[in-house]
Amino acid sequence: MKEMKRYSLTLTVNNETHAVVTPPNRTLLEVLRDDLQLTGTKEGCGEGACGSCTVLVDGQPVRSCLTLAVAMEGRKITTIEGLAQGGKLHPIQAAFVENHAIQCGFCGPGMILTSQALLNDNPTPAEGEIRRAISGNVCRCTGYAKIVKAVQSLAGEER
Amino acid sequence: MKLPPFEYLEPSTVPEALSMLDAYRDTVQIIAGGTEVVNRLKLRLISPDYVMNIKKLRDLEGIVDHEQSIIIGANVSVNEIRDSSLLQHKYKAVAEAAFQVAAPPLANMGTIGGNILQNTRCQFYNQSEIVLKGLEVCHKRGGAICLAVKGGKRCFSVYLGDMATALIAFDAQCVLEKSGARRTIPIIDLFTGQGTQPLSIESNELLTGIIIPKQNGAYGSAYRKLRVRGSMDYPLASAAAFLALSADGKIAASRLVIGASGPAPRIVAGAPAALSGKLPEDADFAAAAEMAYELSEGVDNLALPGDYRKKMVRVFAQRALQGARTDMKRGM
Amino acid sequence: MEKFTLIGKNMKRIDTAAKATGEAIFSADLTLPRMLIGKALRSPYPHARIVAIDTSKAERLPGVKAVITAKDMCGDKWGVFRYTQDQQFLPTEKVRYVGEEVAAVAAIDEDTALQALTLIDVQYEALPSVFTIDDAIAAGAPQLHDAYPNNINVHVKIDVGDIEKGFNESYLVREDTFSAPEDAYFQGEPYAVVAQFDQAGNLEIWMPNAGPHMKAKPLSNVLKIPLNKVRVRKITIGGAFGGRSEISPADVICAFLARKALRPVKIVYTREENTVATRQAHALVTKIKTGVDREGKVLARDITCHMDGGAYSSTGPIATSVPFLCMEQAYRMDNVRYNGYRILTNKPIRGMYRVHGRAFACGIDIQLDMIGAALGIDPLTMRLRNARQTGDYTPTKSYVASCGMTESIVKAGEKSGWKEKFGKLPPYHGIGIGCNSVQTGFPMGIRGGSQAFIKLNEDGGITVITGIVDNGQGNDNMVVQIAAEELGLTPDDVQLISADTEVTPSDPGSYAMCETFIGGNAVRLAAQDVKKKLFRIVAGEFGIGVDNLTARDRKIFVTENPEKSMSIAKAVRIALSRNESISGEGSYWPNVDPKREWVKNPYGQLSETFSFGTVIAEVKVDPETGQVEVLEVTAAQDVGFALNPQVIEGQFEGGVAMGGQGGMLSEFLQWHEGRVLNPTQFGYLVPLAIDMPKINNIIVETIDPNGPYGAKEAGMSVAMSAAQAYCGAISNAVGVYFHDYPITPDKIVKAIEEKRN
Ligand SMILES: Cc1cc2nc3c(=O)[nH]c(=O)nc-3n(C[C@H](O)[C@H](O)[C@H](O)COP(=O)(O)OP(=O)(O)OC[C@H]3O[C@@H](n4cnc5c(N)ncnc54)[C@H](O)[C@@H]3O)c2cc1C
Ligand code: SF4
Ligand code: FES
Ligand code: FES
Repeated sequence: MKEMKRYSLTLTVNNETHAVVTPPNRTLLEVLRDDLQLTGTKEGCGEGACGSCTVLVDGQPVRSCLTLAVAMEGRKITTIEGLAQGGKLHPIQAAFVENHAIQCGFCGPGMILTSQALLNDNPTPAEGEIRRAISGNVCRCTGYAKIVKAVQSLAGEER
Repeated sequence: MKLPPFEYLEPSTVPEALSMLDAYRDTVQIIAGGTEVVNRLKLRLISPDYVMNIKKLRDLEGIVDHEQSIIIGANVSVNEIRDSSLLQHKYKAVAEAAFQVAAPPLANMGTIGGNILQNTRCQFYNQSEIVLKGLEVCHKRGGAICLAVKGGKRCFSVYLGDMATALIAFDAQCVLEKSGARRTIPIIDLFTGQGTQPLSIESNELLTGIIIPKQNGAYGSAYRKLRVRGSMDYPLASAAAFLALSADGKIAASRLVIGASGPAPRIVAGAPAALSGKLPEDADFAAAAEMAYELSEGVDNLALPGDYRKKMVRVFAQRALQGARTDMKRGM
Repeated sequence: MEKFTLIGKNMKRIDTAAKATGEAIFSADLTLPRMLIGKALRSPYPHARIVAIDTSKAERLPGVKAVITAKDMCGDKWGVFRYTQDQQFLPTEKVRYVGEEVAAVAAIDEDTALQALTLIDVQYEALPSVFTIDDAIAAGAPQLHDAYPNNINVHVKIDVGDIEKGFNESYLVREDTFSAPEDAYFQGEPYAVVAQFDQAGNLEIWMPNAGPHMKAKPLSNVLKIPLNKVRVRKITIGGAFGGRSEISPADVICAFLARKALRPVKIVYTREENTVATRQAHALVTKIKTGVDREGKVLARDITCHMDGGAYSSTGPIATSVPFLCMEQAYRMDNVRYNGYRILTNKPIRGMYRVHGRAFACGIDIQLDMIGAALGIDPLTMRLRNARQTGDYTPTKSYVASCGMTESIVKAGEKSGWKEKFGKLPPYHGIGIGCNSVQTGFPMGIRGGSQAFIKLNEDGGITVITGIVDNGQGNDNMVVQIAAEELGLTPDDVQLISADTEVTPSDPGSYAMCETFIGGNAVRLAAQDVKKKLFRIVAGEFGIGVDNLTARDRKIFVTENPEKSMSIAKAVRIALSRNESISGEGSYWPNVDPKREWVKNPYGQLSETFSFGTVIAEVKVDPETGQVEVLEVTAAQDVGFALNPQVIEGQFEGGVAMGGQGGMLSEFLQWHEGRVLNPTQFGYLVPLAIDMPKINNIIVETIDPNGPYGAKEAGMSVAMSAAQAYCGAISNAVGVYFHDYPITPDKIVKAIEEKRN
């Protein structure tokens, strides 16, 4: 095996800074899960095609399985663990729970973060906009109806 | 899935990047958004010694409106293109293509440069070891056979980028820089047409920008893409069309480009002759679409059968031409 | 006063807040001290003799802590049934499909483990392979197993009534053949296992499962340790859909690695491995001959079905039967013959899938449409004329205690506007209907029943202990809901210990939709046992009879005089001080015929009750591209009683996505010489949010006499009938009946072209 240089990184995750030492060939997903024990971020495919590894980088949904951890220095990363504050569910999490948008829950973290990113950009998305925004996230259980409903419940006045 | 080992380079200026490319020629792989190249690395389709992240290069950002053209930096994300009102209004095909790339989160990461410079794909090639191990080595992996086409003497892998097809409809150019040199070539010339080595960019060259010339008079454009699902999927057939009308409402200039139908996007060379001087009507569009059909290669190496995809090139060429007619507007 | 406080209400699931915050731990999320990473070496050949395996180089690689091959196991063959014992978890003699495990390593990290795999040298002698049903049963075909001549793994034969007479009396007889390639489960969570041994030789193991006890027994057998040393632990599970019920080689390999390395080992499958090396769903070719009278009533049916089972038996006898059984439950018929053959090929192993056999289910239904068209009877009426009714016996002699088939057809028809639409829609616009029925369990030997315990705390809270497992469908919540309802507690008062073979009693697992019916009944009985004991105490204190008491709001009160009450906490404390046991116990054994056997005796009560569902789909087809836009879907199912309506709706909606949208439009495995060409989400196209139509849910309640509160199962009849409805709708839109599934755009374009010519 090639010996690789190790990089000392400072990652800002959920408003906390973490010092991480890693070779460059590791994804953000691996560092979050294995080094920072933030296992709420899931690996469903490792190839960008399912969305379960979604985290927010500077507020935008990003596939952590396709992102090099070394490139994340100085970026603001939010994982599913960073949403609930003071032991209280974030409104988007509460909406998913209330609306039965979670079955097995494997897609949940990615779906919730993607939905929240949409609401941040567009507080009043129409149903079609919601469906499009979450169409990079595969859910095998729900058929999406209740997920869409959960996001709609926070979507304010429909346009 | 794990990435292979590599060393990491992160230039902060273009000259620095160019000198790194020069120094590590042939052993360095550029990564922009990473949405294509990371998978190629993970599948071990490539194993470079160095991976060079170009996302810190500020000079590759921005969509700038110049007198004669619009210049798009190579690092501009696909979503920025989708959302640009300038492009939406004046280069509809380009914005429409961006709207249909992958899914919104991927198009947020993916850049226009990476999109254009993606490699060709094939079901017998973009696979992990579980499929490839024990399988005969095909042309694209350095062997001498094709698994998709029995007896195939060459590689029929398919170029599935959405953006290039649309950009070529506007005769867009790209700027390639290397240490001490710079060339501007039509995007169509980036493509070799060879499945094994589909791109003609040199290993020490950096794509820095895309130049779309401005149009005069009345013109319109459109991009149409076939996919099974409403999001996420690569195209299974695609077409971009550009139409410009003279004062009498007849077609003065046109370009029809097809994608997802061979190792390179292709300009339907006969289309302008078939259309020029005529009113933009379906019957003539059909003749051009028929040429698109003739030009396309339908091979059984993607999600749906090749003969079907070939037929769909005709349908989507026709629809792109119709879309361009609908988009018709005055020049800028 | 309302009858129930929780049951029948939209109760927020108890497990989903932890899933929404990322707190819920799935198998791959586990980390244990000194844990190693395990990886399996897989066969690159579809069929080959293993000549030699040299692991010495891998063993010498620094960081490698264990390497195992078949030599480390004792060569036992495993099978779900005694007569299907044919699979070694690491094969000694030959490999039978591309991707089969041949050796495995455990190392300090993934990179090292992967490198070690490259250092294992396996010498193979390639053997001729078979990849299709036809090739496998052809004379002189290569044989996979000595035990199954002509590669016929299972033959299920059912013959009821007199089909020849039935056909003779028929006004119209049709015979058609339907086919479909394999589908894949594509659970959200790729398979993962973590195993560790302690000094005393106890195994602790975590993995997605559909029944911990079904995993524990084979582990105990192959590891040669008693069952009480096998502790399959509870873990959050990312979907099963029938594919995670049996032992997986990964479980066994992980346990052997952990035992050899004396360290915990984790194996996490890639998406590709999950597709190739867990289970797939069968490919089918089904020949159906149906005879009807003038009114469209089925008089006789003769069905021959060939299923491509892949390399090993798995649940073969069950899988070969269930498509037929669902159909015989759904529709009446007196004379029927079924020959189901499961054929072995050099392809990955096939198991039970939520949408059992699309080429079977859709074939039956679309043929009814064809017959209806010939007789001038519309498809909905065809269904009504053949629908199963309460009080019937199925051809294989199951009594149907409650049946809402007709009601589901009628209600779905009304909601979807069937009458106004069928035959009246514009060109390339279509509507279609499908009906089906599923079991709520079947005879499963000694593991056929479920038991539950309830323990009380001095403050009146309880802990329920049950073997029920939750794969994502909400079973944990169902247990808490039932226990809290019975005892007048809030869900917060209930703690759950479930799906852990060390502490939880026997349970069939989340298999064949039996958890609500069997496990739910057991929990209810355990709660009633506690209630009876508490009431005895309170009745004594109040000097009244136990029959006059009610438990609600954490209190036990006199039904006629609610002011007179005692808190449950106080009742518990009285019991404790008197040394009176108030723990509860419940067990439920379904009323099924224990003599019924899949192959030897496929007659007798199969399942205590059945669910019945109807789906109607409306579609628009683009005739140039063959793309299908689904406008609206109406799903109706007799669920017995809706314990938690939104959970049921979620099952309907998920069923429409998997069975209809995916199963009929886009999902199928593509092959090249035994290799799956689309093992990832890139090529295996699971529906996305943007693809899904509007879904109308209709819950039909028949209040089953024996289900808990009358409940049966939630949503599987919908998943199956959705495929049929999509098939009918597309056929109706195009004006061509489709025989090969899924109905991808290329098939539609071809059909339209052929029709034009
Ligand atoms: C699930 C999924 C679906 C997808 N669907 C589509 C789709 O529908 N349509 C589509 O077009 N694409 C699709 N893609 C591919 C990809 O996401 C896009 O093409 C994206 O725009 C690529 O951009 P990137 O910046 O991420 O490229 P990268 O992966 O960073 O790079 C791609 C290639 O370009 C080279 N490169 C990048 N920038 C430069 C530069 N400035 N100079 C020289 N070389 C450079 C890299 O070395 C690499 O070889 C999909 C990907 C995934 C994972
Ligand atoms: S088209 Fe043929 S040569 Fe090219 S990648 Fe596919 S199988 Fe290989
Ligand atoms: S794990 Fe990253 S998209 Fe699937
Ligand atoms: S809830 Fe299971 S994958 Fe979405």
